[in-house]
Amino acid sequence: MTLFRDLCCAGPATLAILMGVVAHAAPPRSPFTTDPYPSTYRAPRSATMLIVGATILDGRGHRIENGDILIRNGKIAAVGHDLKARDAQVISARGRWVTPGLIDVHSHNGVYSTSDISEDSDPNSADIWIEHGVNVDDPAFGAAMRSGVTTLQVLPGSKPVFGGRSVVLKPVAASTVRDMKFPDASPSLKMACGDGPKRKDGAPSSRPGEVALVRGALLEAKDYLNDWREYERSGGRGKQPKRDLRLDALAGVLTGEIPVHMHCYRASDMSAMLGVAQEFGFKIRAFHHATGAYQIAEELRQAGTCVVVWSDWWSFKTEASDAIRENAAIVDAAGGCVMMLVDLPYVGLRLNIEAAKAAAAGRRAGFKLPPEHIIRWITSAPAQVLGLENRIGAVAPGLNADLVIWSTDPFSIYSNADQVFIDGTLRYDRSKPDESITPDLYLGRPTAGSDMHVKGNM
Amino acid sequence: MRRLSMIGFVLAVAFGVVRPDSVAADTLAIVHAEAWTMTGAEPLKDATIVVSDGEIVAIQAGTLPPAGARVLDAKGRRVTPGLIHAATRLGLVELPDAKETQDAAISAGSFGAGFDIQYALNPNSSLIALARADGLTSAVSYPASTKTAPFSGMGAALRFQARDSVLDRPGVGVFVTIGGSSSEGAGGSRAAQWQLLRGALDAARRAAARTADVQALEQVLSGAVPLAISTNRESDIRLAIRLAADYKLRVVIIGGAEAWRAADALAAAQIPVIVDPEENLPDSFDTIGLRRDNAALLHTAGVKVAAVVLTASHQSFNAGLSMREGAGRAVANGLPYIEALRAVTINPAQIWGMADRYGTIEPGKAADLVIWDGDPLEPTSTALTVIIGGKEASLVTRQTELRDRYMRKAGLPSVAQNSP
Repeated sequence: MTLFRDLCCAGPATLAILMGVVAHAAPPRSPFTTDPYPSTYRAPRSATMLIVGATILDGRGHRIENGDILIRNGKIAAVGHDLKARDAQVISARGRWVTPGLIDVHSHNGVYSTSDISEDSDPNSADIWIEHGVNVDDPAFGAAMRSGVTTLQVLPGSKPVFGGRSVVLKPVAASTVRDMKFPDASPSLKMACGDGPKRKDGAPSSRPGEVALVRGALLEAKDYLNDWREYERSGGRGKQPKRDLRLDALAGVLTGEIPVHMHCYRASDMSAMLGVAQEFGFKIRAFHHATGAYQIAEELRQAGTCVVVWSDWWSFKTEASDAIRENAAIVDAAGGCVMMLVDLPYVGLRLNIEAAKAAAAGRRAGFKLPPEHIIRWITSAPAQVLGLENRIGAVAPGLNADLVIWSTDPFSIYSNADQVFIDGTLRYDRSKPDESITPDLYLGRPTAGSDMHVKGNM
Repeated sequence: MRRLSMIGFVLAVAFGVVRPDSVAADTLAIVHAEAWTMTGAEPLKDATIVVSDGEIVAIQAGTLPPAGARVLDAKGRRVTPGLIHAATRLGLVELPDAKETQDAAISAGSFGAGFDIQYALNPNSSLIALARADGLTSAVSYPASTKTAPFSGMGAALRFQARDSVLDRPGVGVFVTIGGSSSEGAGGSRAAQWQLLRGALDAARRAAARTADVQALEQVLSGAVPLAISTNRESDIRLAIRLAADYKLRVVIIGGAEAWRAADALAAAQIPVIVDPEENLPDSFDTIGLRRDNAALLHTAGVKVAAVVLTASHQSFNAGLSMREGAGRAVANGLPYIEALRAVTINPAQIWGMADRYGTIEPGKAADLVIWDGDPLEPTSTALTVIIGGKEASLVTRQTELRDRYMRKAGLPSVAQNSP
């Protein structure tokens, strides 16, 4: 009945969605996407702060030398030169760099180390909500923050074709996942294609089988959507359709409310899936891994589909053996939308270094990729993909004060995140070990503690 | 005789007099190099490095190249010895889901210590070409596992010259794996792994039949080659130290996530550690105590350290680039810069008994050299010229060919040539 109430009381916009499948508009929430578990994250009251003298990469293509940033009420109040604020605590960033907090759109933090990443019992696990598996005490969250990450999308794994819904989190110390949830951020649906979802002991066992499974499920979702539309038209007097958690998610895909993030490697696989998306009238928001993206850069641009790519992973499976280090640069040069991938929590979680390596390869291939451009790959581009571009991803007035002060050029291997701010609160300070953010896991164990800082000598 | 004539040649160069007849036909001189020789803490600026017959015959600042030598102008760029990967599976793996390219492990048969990967090396692996283009000129490849716990088998030294073989020296060490995640083969406990190891060493001392396994262990017992132990937990590292003392073995630790907790004991026992400085998260309870500054703490305590990235996706697939990146992170976490360079050159050479030929730029060493376009420990830098045995190696890889094909297809401008 709750669902019915939501449906019946929805405004005209929702009705419009239910009257016809809207693929490209960003419609308001329908019951299929209402979050029954809303965020309980509350930003602590933050002081007024003035960061001065920094080299700022604003995430929107600008580089500001010797720049200042005023933070008030957890938001960025002003960016410029010679800013003054009598009440502000002044933080000198002279000789250091400031960027927006980094955004990781492909994280498995909280679910990888406990093997909760994939529900493998069914290739259609669209009913999964990955947030129900997140271990908030996973030290990977702290490691991500120490690497400058202030927002991350935790995705289900790639064993099922439909992997389930993602969750967008802030990597803050918390006791419940809802305390980490980015308020009002929409989840995406994780899908996978290629070798990942192939099964030895069942279906699908092949690429064509995967595509058939996707099309079959979407056909079903279309009927489901029509049934609810019919019910809506009857004003609730007809027979209420049976709720189905899998079809909820897929109906959300068809209405465009739930963006699709799809794990694929080969260019031919991506192209096949773009065809299916076109057939059913929805957009694939981003391909992840996408090692062959450079081979179909123009097709991706035309489809408006982004890619989330590594700089240099390759050959660890056959479908990744077409990978080249210029992948990001070539897609970028074709006018496509690019962001960086770190994926596994064990290779450093350094999005900035992934971007640096991808850009270096691109520059050697003749592309102009200055720091103020490539910072977009790990800030404003992922913000846009998550639909959060008006809240995070840039150093701009009105946006959340998610900022990183780097010891040096963040695209140098020697850089460290000195200070990390989330909503204007200093969450990590490399010079001040803070035991309060030590994961429970480490307590009573012979570890180095939460902050493994040593004084660098570079 | 060759060594004598070489010394004469060095003297001649040193005094600025080079008789034309002493210059071999294939003499190469790299001039204006910022040479990180690994023999001192500072680079030699404006160095001239003279190479003949595949060997370095002279290095000095500001000297003219010998008459008749082919000259390569480094234009002030950094030149290092060819980098050496201390622990990889290059030549043994290429595509994990293509079984015919997988030769690092055996899942049947009785081979243990004597399983010898020298016969599996594939010089045509696309991973080797990439590693070479990333500045690797040598590596030690080692086996992953056998059915005879805790033995993985024997590793080999590789050199990436463009020849029909990349095998430089077989049997450079016997490898074992000890720890929680590998204890299944020993029935589920690391205690059994240690007991099986000690038992095998005892048995090899009095074995009548000199099987391949026994011969391998004889090499270890005589101290001819090290016993390399892949392990991470402090208790296992301390047991490795005790084993080395009890049997008078040369021991090398691979991984050693908690090695910093036993740094002084490792230093006292002169046991080197091959660390992964990229690691910043435990992936099991064996590594719960890992620290990002493991390499720096070990070095400070006096432990010889080699740096590699051991994560499976990079250890062999991106062996060269990931190793440089890892060494760079070690610097960011406190290891002195020169020590990080040593950790990818002379230290691995010393650990594996290759230092007579490789790992420094000095007369008598193999002419394995890399000219870099920047700082080799920045993964954004690249090798401009890779010289192996005095010859410039091709930097063409499967990746560059794919790049060029698809950039051409898309009508994108052709790639600028990488040359100094």
